[in-house]
Amino acid sequence: MSNIALGLLSFPLMLALIFLRVPIGIAMLGVGVFGSLLITGSFTPILAQFKNLTWSTFASHSLSVVPLFLLMGAFATLSGMSSRLFEAATAWLGHRKGGVAMAAIGASAGFGAISGSSLATAATMGQVALPQLRKNGYSGALSTGAIAAGGTLGILIPPSVILVIFAVQTEQNIAKLFMAAFIPGILAALGYMLVIALYVRAVPQAGGERPRLPYGERFALLARVWPVLAVFVAVIGGIYTGIFTPTEAAAIGAAGTGLIALATRSLSLKGLSEVFLSTASATAMIFFIVLGAAALNGFLALSQLPQFAAGWVSDQGLNPWLVLAIVLIFYLFLGAVMDSLSMILLTVPIVYPMMAMLDFGLPPDDFAVWFGILVLIVVEVGLITPPVGMNLFVINAMARDVPMSQTYRGVLPFVASDIARTAILVAFPPITLWAVWFFG
Amino acid sequence: MGSGRGKPKVFSDHSPLGRAIYGLAKGLTFLGGALLLAVVVMVTISIIGRAFLWAGLRPIRGDYELASAGVALAVFAFLPWCHLERGHAVVSILTDRFGPRVNAWILAITDLMMLAAAAFIAWRLWFGMLDKFAYGETSLLLRMPMGWPYAAAFACTLAFVLIALYCLGRSLTGALRGAGGRP
Repeated sequence: MSNIALGLLSFPLMLALIFLRVPIGIAMLGVGVFGSLLITGSFTPILAQFKNLTWSTFASHSLSVVPLFLLMGAFATLSGMSSRLFEAATAWLGHRKGGVAMAAIGASAGFGAISGSSLATAATMGQVALPQLRKNGYSGALSTGAIAAGGTLGILIPPSVILVIFAVQTEQNIAKLFMAAFIPGILAALGYMLVIALYVRAVPQAGGERPRLPYGERFALLARVWPVLAVFVAVIGGIYTGIFTPTEAAAIGAAGTGLIALATRSLSLKGLSEVFLSTASATAMIFFIVLGAAALNGFLALSQLPQFAAGWVSDQGLNPWLVLAIVLIFYLFLGAVMDSLSMILLTVPIVYPMMAMLDFGLPPDDFAVWFGILVLIVVEVGLITPPVGMNLFVINAMARDVPMSQTYRGVLPFVASDIARTAILVAFPPITLWAVWFFG
Repeated sequence: MGSGRGKPKVFSDHSPLGRAIYGLAKGLTFLGGALLLAVVVMVTISIIGRAFLWAGLRPIRGDYELASAGVALAVFAFLPWCHLERGHAVVSILTDRFGPRVNAWILAITDLMMLAAAAFIAWRLWFGMLDKFAYGETSLLLRMPMGWPYAAAFACTLAFVLIALYCLGRSLTGALRGAGGRP
């Protein structure tokens, strides 16, 4: 069997393992190790490789931002800032039609600015906003749908763990990807608010409004979220302007949210242990998959499949836009059954070199950034796409009285807004790249 | 990511062995967490040092190396807890349709795979460590001998193997009892 055929065959095999509930990192590691064995015909190179591969993967400087961002998010979750964000957002938006749901989106965006994880954002905002939404008479479908969708802002708005992984894989500048993510992230939040505005007009019994607050009170509540803003400006501003490397920014961010938790007196010994345990689980999960991906990529490089696939695509003279559409739709479907990080690690080594061969009229670096943001968005849509969007499960588990079918129905308009936004960003690359050009 | 979170309900988690294993995994996690905090503090101090160069302060020498090594060790220390608490990413959309018995056996088999992976990683890391000591390899800036961080990482992977062994025992008992092995 040719090496390329081996490479091609490895994917269905790996997917079969993954769908039989083999941990994704193990499936990648196993296929990588045994695939390399089949190609080289000897265990020696793999045994030699693994003397250092584990350490060098875990000690990779670009990846060291990941645990630090996770620590930052864990402190942020502990700090109680989510309820302050929600109170402030409600003060400004609550009097509109569907305003409390809009406030949940706004608060999620704010929380996403200090957290790089979607699930954590959904879970935290769910605890804070869900009871308030229900108390204000919002339907179960709209409440759970809005919070689940809002959760994706945790990753769409920088910092974003997924973007760090994409940057490492494609050897792109993390700072540029974070810059590019910002405007699409804001557009996502505005799009979700628009969905809510339309939703409550179409289904008036789905939401209510609260009395308008005087501006003095609004500003007072807004002022209470200044620590969030300070941390966001230090972290993201520091990265954008190049004052901090991403690792430094992540460390500053973790120190910042840690201090907030300390100041709000949420940082008990028990709280700290929760922070460590949740950071540990999330970190180990990610790095174990990254290790599996490292082994798999070694095998793929040996099989020469990535070069072959890239050459094949460029020889076909396909319409680049058509290929892009197919790839994005493929990600949408895959995202509906698999978690976003595994998906990126599994597919980018093949898909990215292929896409880079196509001509979209962009310089290579700009293309990489633009494609990264598009992939980020479509894999995140997977988190709220029925049947297995993780955010939906997390939120639905909190809202005991809301049947899953209602959550499914409630989130669909948000998914539609995601797809519309993706189409806009595909059609107009400058929307994404503007910030990169401006700061870069 | 499947339904991999939450405490397993197998009885042995409350047995003396189970408690010892949980103690070991938690202890390592707290060590790793403390190390991560130390990296945060170190990097912050280094940034302050760089910002106040004019006042005679300096950034910490080799801060990059220290941060990378600290984070890497923390990751090694986190591996056991993640496995023990079933934190690894899985896709359960298909297997959710299978009965509890089948799932209990899938869990036992995947735990065996995890044990094999843990043992493989630990085994190779041991030889990696011997190499580092034998060649006296040091880090670039600080000339820190790389054998020692490898040794600490190896100790973590050893704990990972122990815990993977325990997890296999736990899921195997569940599977043999005919049910209850689901996370």
